[in-house]
Amino acid sequence: MASPRKTCIAHRIAVAALAAAALLALAGSEDARAEYGDVVINNYSDAAGMRPVVFPHWFHRVRYRCKVCHADLGFKFKAGGNEINMVKIIDGQFCGACHNGEVAWSIENCNMCHSANPKTPTQVHESTIGTIVLPAGTSAAPAVRK
Amino acid sequence: MNPVGIIARLVLTVAAVVAVAAGAAGAATAADAPDGKAVYQATCAACHATGAAGAPKLGDADAWAPRFQAGIDGLYRSAVSGNGSMPAKGGNASLSELAVQAAVNFMVLQVDLKPAASKPTATKSVTAAPAKAAPVASAATSDVSAGKGRSVYQSACGACHGTGAAGAPRLADAAAWAPRLKSGLPALYNSALKGKAAMPAKGGNPALADADVKAAVDYLVAQARGDKAAATTQAVALPEPPPKTASAPTATPPPAPATTPATALPALTVAQAPAVAGPPPAQAVAATPAAVADANAFNRLLRAPGKRNLPPAEDGIHDPTNDGTLALQAPLTAFGPFPKSNAGNRIDWVKALAENRIQPRYDRLDPNAVPALMDLNIVREVKGSMPDVVYPHKQHTEWLDCSNCHPAIFIPQKGANQISMAAILLGQKCGVCHGKVAFPVSECRLCHSKNKTAAAANASAK
Repeated sequence: MASPRKTCIAHRIAVAALAAAALLALAGSEDARAEYGDVVINNYSDAAGMRPVVFPHWFHRVRYRCKVCHADLGFKFKAGGNEINMVKIIDGQFCGACHNGEVAWSIENCNMCHSANPKTPTQVHESTIGTIVLPAGTSAAPAVRK
Repeated sequence: MNPVGIIARLVLTVAAVVAVAAGAAGAATAADAPDGKAVYQATCAACHATGAAGAPKLGDADAWAPRFQAGIDGLYRSAVSGNGSMPAKGGNASLSELAVQAAVNFMVLQVDLKPAASKPTATKSVTAAPAKAAPVASAATSDVSAGKGRSVYQSACGACHGTGAAGAPRLADAAAWAPRLKSGLPALYNSALKGKAAMPAKGGNPALADADVKAAVDYLVAQARGDKAAATTQAVALPEPPPKTASAPTATPPPAPATTPATALPALTVAQAPAVAGPPPAQAVAATPAAVADANAFNRLLRAPGKRNLPPAEDGIHDPTNDGTLALQAPLTAFGPFPKSNAGNRIDWVKALAENRIQPRYDRLDPNAVPALMDLNIVREVKGSMPDVVYPHKQHTEWLDCSNCHPAIFIPQKGANQISMAAILLGQKCGVCHGKVAFPVSECRLCHSKNKTAAAANASAK
């Protein structure tokens, strides 16, 4: 970056670059390139020694309209806001309404849901609020381990 | 091999195949005869018009020339079964093989013969991409330590190693390369030359010289080691001893086995020497502009076309070491035939539903349940110069139940809801879905779609 030929204009550019870098930090890691709308749910997973859950919205909306989960099954419009746990799922609530081996594959496929990088916080990936609102410390898309 | 000859032969073959196909189609039904151009526009253009994911662009002779080496049958095979980041049938499984071949024919026939014909073959070692060789060799800007390997990488390896297609370790992805680096450079050369698992021999380009392949491996390895420091020291080290012969030993990157530069550099000097007659310091200076060029790249903070809709193992959220991750569907395998948009999943979901590309259930179990549609547009007049918002109930009730929005998010009464872009950006009102899963707020005109009448504009200006 630093070069002896830097002029006043270059200095201004450097300031702009810093601002851009700050914006990038707010926007989260450039490493995270998951699908728009992928929801990471990490209410209890890390504490339980499991990988956090990734819910791919795109995959489900190909097969179901929003209404099925968000009206019939009672999923709130809030990432991590449903306090889902495995007991509820086994009981046929939330994911368990379909992931029961009859409508969709059953819960013995732990790692297909619990598939996020450990320590990934609860978030809607690429959400507007995640990219522009959350402060850098609680970045929605944290740096992924190298 | 002479590229003109290859292309001429190809065109002849295409003509013959088209004739045969036309005959066969005539025997079946005339309606079945696929229109290559239409197929191209519907399915192939997404990548082949833009060059996304390393796809050769329509009519780009330089990009197509190396592909022609495989012959028309090879092109058909790649198109039908997939090759590198090219998905089978361009990701549209519903296409017939005949339709795919028609699209290939169309694309092949768009390649102009003249540009390829006029390009001289710069050096003997560059047999695969003669068209590429000339610009690279003459471009004094390329960093001497990486120039050759990088050019080979870009022409032959980038399609997979740039995008991570077919599980290829991506350029400069240290984590993906680490296990491969452990096996040592000779083993990597061997894999690259002979092929291994999904990696085809010589990256699927058998015409490449062994030295070129090794140079590309060196380049990939240097990038994987994060060896930008080594690369720059190499570039800086070069000018000190003026004669070229002395540069080879000094250029040895510390961690690499001694064979690395020894095999890579002679090829380099051969390729660069005729074109770059200038003294070494010019090359060292050229190394700096490369980094600056990257920093000033157009839209550098936006996601590049090759980095959208990545498979789960490469998306940065999923754990690539998790076995379940590999069982998940990759977005592009599902998105192939869907209408595209400019944001979000890059899919126009409303259009996909309207065109019956997807048949999402309205009931958990009953595939025949149909939504209760409400066709009522609400027009919201907005302040300022933006066009007024038209809210269509119809498209929303296709997906949602009334209770999803009313009354918790929107009070079902005219004038009862304060909505602002600030609230939406904060995830309230429309922002409960738009900006999280429905199309994001970057698509202003999808909502702000009703131009103000002149009278209304004047009134608001007062």
